[in-house]
Amino acid sequence: MDQELLMKQIVEQVMKAMQNDSTETKSSYASNGKVTADNYPLSEKMADKLKTPTGKPFNSISYDKVVKGELGPEDMRIAPETLEMQAQVAESVGREAFAGNLRRAAELIAVPDDRLLEIYNALRPYRSSKQDLLDIANELDGYKAAVSAALVREAAEVYEKRGRLKKD
Amino acid sequence: MKSKRFEVLAARPVNQDGYVKEWPEVGLVAMDGPNDPKPSIKIENGRITELDGKTREQFDMLDTFIADHAIRLDGAERAMAIDSLDIARMIVDINVTRKQVLDVTLCLTPAKLSEVMSKMTIVEIMMGMTKMRAREQPANQCHVTNVRDNPVQIAADAAEAGIRGFAEMETTVGIARYAPFNAMSLMVGAQVGRPGVMTQCALEEATELELGMRGFTTYAETISVYGTEPVFMDGDDTPYSKAFLASCYASRGLKMRFTSGTGSEVQMGYAEGKSMLYLEARCLAVTKGAGVQGTQNGSVSCVGVPAAVPSGIRAIAAENLISMLLDLESTTSNDQTFTHSDLRRVARSVPQFFSGTDYICSGYSATPNYDNMFAGSNWDAEDYDDWNIIQRDMKVDGGLQPVQEEDVIKIRNKAARALQGMFRELGLPAITDEEVEAATYANGSKDMPERNVNEDLKAIEDMMARKVTGVDFVKALDKAGFSDVAQNVYAMLRQKVAGDYLHTASIFDEQFHVMSAVNTPNDYHGPMTGYQISEERWKQISDIPNAIRPEDI
Repeated sequence: MDQELLMKQIVEQVMKAMQNDSTETKSSYASNGKVTADNYPLSEKMADKLKTPTGKPFNSISYDKVVKGELGPEDMRIAPETLEMQAQVAESVGREAFAGNLRRAAELIAVPDDRLLEIYNALRPYRSSKQDLLDIANELDGYKAAVSAALVREAAEVYEKRGRLKKD
Repeated sequence: MKSKRFEVLAARPVNQDGYVKEWPEVGLVAMDGPNDPKPSIKIENGRITELDGKTREQFDMLDTFIADHAIRLDGAERAMAIDSLDIARMIVDINVTRKQVLDVTLCLTPAKLSEVMSKMTIVEIMMGMTKMRAREQPANQCHVTNVRDNPVQIAADAAEAGIRGFAEMETTVGIARYAPFNAMSLMVGAQVGRPGVMTQCALEEATELELGMRGFTTYAETISVYGTEPVFMDGDDTPYSKAFLASCYASRGLKMRFTSGTGSEVQMGYAEGKSMLYLEARCLAVTKGAGVQGTQNGSVSCVGVPAAVPSGIRAIAAENLISMLLDLESTTSNDQTFTHSDLRRVARSVPQFFSGTDYICSGYSATPNYDNMFAGSNWDAEDYDDWNIIQRDMKVDGGLQPVQEEDVIKIRNKAARALQGMFRELGLPAITDEEVEAATYANGSKDMPERNVNEDLKAIEDMMARKVTGVDFVKALDKAGFSDVAQNVYAMLRQKVAGDYLHTASIFDEQFHVMSAVNTPNDYHGPMTGYQISEERWKQISDIPNAIRPEDI
């Protein structure tokens, strides 16, 4: 290893150690405003920042409320903001592709269960025409699901090229 | 004259197994195949234009997906230029950190990854696993099934498996329509046994997702990917549909991993003349590119294929290591039965068992072999003491621990009663006291009374139409007087709201504290580093009930 690279690594390690020392209040965001591995698990270190998709604070959900019927299955789901925070955690540990998946997922929360299953089935081989897939992409744009829509458009191109579209 | 020695040898179990000589043209070669492409990469304007000897015009669907999604471009040309032997040496060098290895391997193409593996012996692959697996502490997964889909037995077996130490449990069905019962019985039994165990039910993709959405399961793993385009199409999916499916799961707060393994392409007849390991490296690249946190691999249900060719079991260990080199959660198979030989089945598991992986088996059968609906497992309930004693012999943590008979009887009984109460409150066909009693003491389904299958299936249909969800399980268990079990089921639902367990290699301890590659990453870098068995844990592993105590002599 050359000297310069070694020095760079030492400096990085020292900086990292200093950062760890100064993060006494673990529930704070990193300096750039992003959530990182230091904030994880979010259910323990950032519980006050999490909400259900129905807008209820994570800290307000309880066993008793479930038993009394004050909380339903629609409350016991993950919210888009939470998935974005988890995506940032993933990025902070070098898992970019996984973070991308979580961002697609955040977009898809708005799509109802049944429709989500239909779209998945439409993406299987020989199920859809190119137009069918482009229509789905447009529909996803309507849900502000831009990353997912892009994936479907990409699939439409590749399926066409590889002869995997619906055969008449 | 016939040799008496050979007569004896011919009768040995190992000679009941099937073997085949290498036949590279059809893909019957474990690794380092003569037709495997030479590793290459070319990047132009931030886009891969050549991958493992093919130009973009020659790409099939998998090449396109891998080139566009799976490989870290920054530094890729530099990483690809490193000699494969040097990369193999980095993997076993304790002075090169896991992160430094990943900085190289995340930039590699499938052909390069499999070429690196061909430079490593089985022991070096094991050293690589110890260093490269994602989570610090190894864990284990089991199968909980039975030939009659008996829900009471599933709950009791799951509870026992919980106190024996499994972190994850998987069920599947004999009759597909039984799936909701199997999934809910597994969840209840698991939470009786040990709070925080994650559960899944292996089904057709869309059905599996639906059960997850309704809170019957907490994760999924049987999302298969394949190494050639024709086999992918036969599997009725594409890398794009599977990537979309991965996001569907995460959107409902459900953990998931993909599944793949050496031998599947040969078995399905489209290996394109490539080695099993090279094709598996393509599967793992697809997994990485889809943004999935982990994989179940290690030949899995195709184990008979690599096991029949030279160096096949080494290739299985190598494919596990490749998943780790891609920073994926490694759930390392050791499941389907593949041999008549007890010696061979132990040897097959040594690499993962002794090195430690995120989940050593996926899974270990928590029932007798005859009740395992995944075509049997390499390890089953009747091997519990063997596994425990091997852990004790070698001082390794294979995720299990010895238990007392009275504790097992007690926990099985509680699980059966909890399910009985939940069924009653949900208006499902009664679980009789006779069934509870039988499940408490049963070894397998032969010890269980028969249920009225038609009545069960009708009730399942009705329950699904009523839109019953995990929330209803919590209420029913509470009402039935099992509020401690209900609290555990609730705690699992609550985790879906926070999503911490979506991350790489997550498991829960019994306080529902998540341990994943984010907060408990593997930091092995030589002797006395990485996961160390604590004094308390060693006592748990080593304290078998049948050991003589010196003070008693």
